[in-house]
Amino acid sequence: MPIGWLLDRMASWEDVEAVIWRAEPVSYEQLLGRARQWRVRLAEDGVGEGHIVALEGGLSPDICALLIALIQHRAVIVPLGPVSDRNRFDFLQIAQGQHVYAFDAGGAVKVSHRPCSPPTGLLRELIARGEPGLVLFTSGSSGNPKAVVHSLERLLWKFQKPRARLRTAGLFRLDHIAGFDSIFYALSSGGTLIVVENYQPDEMCRAIEHHAANHLTATPTFLRLLLGSGACWRHDLSSLQLVTYGSEVMPEATLHVLRKAMPNARFIQKYGLTELGSPRSRSKDSDSAWIKIVDGDFEARVVNGTLQIRTRSSMLGYLNAPDPFTADGWFDTGDAVETDGEYIRILGRKSEVINVGGEKVYPAEVENVLLEMPNVKDVIVRGEPNQILGNIVSAAVSVLEPETAESLGSRMRKFCKGRLARYKIPVKVEVVTDAQYGDRFKKQRAQKG
Amino acid sequence: MTRDDVVEVLLGCLSVLAQEEPDRFKLDLSEETILFGYDAGLDSLGLVMLLLSVEEALHARHGVSVPLMDERALSQRHSPFRTVRTLTDYIIANFG
Repeated sequence: MPIGWLLDRMASWEDVEAVIWRAEPVSYEQLLGRARQWRVRLAEDGVGEGHIVALEGGLSPDICALLIALIQHRAVIVPLGPVSDRNRFDFLQIAQGQHVYAFDAGGAVKVSHRPCSPPTGLLRELIARGEPGLVLFTSGSSGNPKAVVHSLERLLWKFQKPRARLRTAGLFRLDHIAGFDSIFYALSSGGTLIVVENYQPDEMCRAIEHHAANHLTATPTFLRLLLGSGACWRHDLSSLQLVTYGSEVMPEATLHVLRKAMPNARFIQKYGLTELGSPRSRSKDSDSAWIKIVDGDFEARVVNGTLQIRTRSSMLGYLNAPDPFTADGWFDTGDAVETDGEYIRILGRKSEVINVGGEKVYPAEVENVLLEMPNVKDVIVRGEPNQILGNIVSAAVSVLEPETAESLGSRMRKFCKGRLARYKIPVKVEVVTDAQYGDRFKKQRAQKG
Repeated sequence: MTRDDVVEVLLGCLSVLAQEEPDRFKLDLSEETILFGYDAGLDSLGLVMLLLSVEEALHARHGVSVPLMDERALSQRHSPFRTVRTLTDYIIANFG
């Protein structure tokens, strides 16, 4: 039986709170009971072993139980985020989805079935081995989203070793590797998932305070929203002992202020990729962007300034893109890093580097400095083609109080002098009213072309 | 937009640049001021900064769109970026 070890462990936690959703706690015992009901329902719905099943909806105890039932069923799970109808159709086609379980906001489920030919390629191999699977789509900030196929047997392997029991508050997106990771970290260690359903900073802070969360998992952009909205000063966040953040580079200025708002918390940057999962890592210290991968299942090396990782929990491959692994199994992350002994610091995506007359500029470094300026709420730095220099650095800034681009540009040049090399200082400044966030709260930094 | 308008915008933008980076730009501001090239006052980044601000100022004050860093400007037999005078001539000839 797949994940037999996980089910045994969950059963032993009986009335420990597993999921808190809409202020209602659900125990491990209740969750497993609900999973048993789902197995019966799956059979009734004609979902056979090894079928490919898409899931729509945010995390709830019911979806959590269905996830467990589907894994027991050796199904291939395709979580779909809030995508457009067209993307939804494309994603289902690519993932060869046979059944769709769509949950609405009230928690009601609608099941639909799609006519499909027998699975092909990686999916066929996975199903033939009798392993449950997972298909996730990369965010596609550079080009089309790629469909990543994981064996859940491999991906969940690392959770066999029990870890600290935490009460974790978060959004837990199923269609995101970090969300998936957080869910199974908690379920495999007797932890509690405190589910917050929307991106409202006050909701999150209220949940942390009310349910005494000791762990918060979020993106740097969301953490900055907690600060920017003032929500983190309106609530008591002293229960937090650990804040993990990932998926983008954290501006160091933000980290300094966050430490004041959450005085008892250690801050740890997680490094994860849809293709690999997230290794356990350690930060040099709480204020530092330097991390060390301390996970025995992950090997890291730096080749030409780019991080490569090899791990047994990595994906099997893409459904709609060529095999990206080197012959000896290393995955090129595309992330440019600096090294200091065993520690690495993520500079940004290699593909985001702006080449200004032969000099390299990483947008994250410039953004970090600009975020320290007065009257700057958020900023996106990117390259623009230029006939003289090849590219120039441009900044789109959202401001707190109205300000002209001219005045902001002049202040910016003064502020950056001495803080950034001259060629890194944005020469073009634009004031924007709404920050350009992606649907995953990651920055949309596609180059203008 | 007259020739004088353009000269005024150019010298205005230059003086802002010179104020922001006094140690880098020592520019006696006149129509004969050398902008770029042999014994130039500006490096390539400085030139780009100047041209961007001139484009913006001409648009803001005179409502004209004057692309100064396109193929045409860069493929002139005699570079328009040599002096304040040559750049003014280029702007007037092409967009005046």
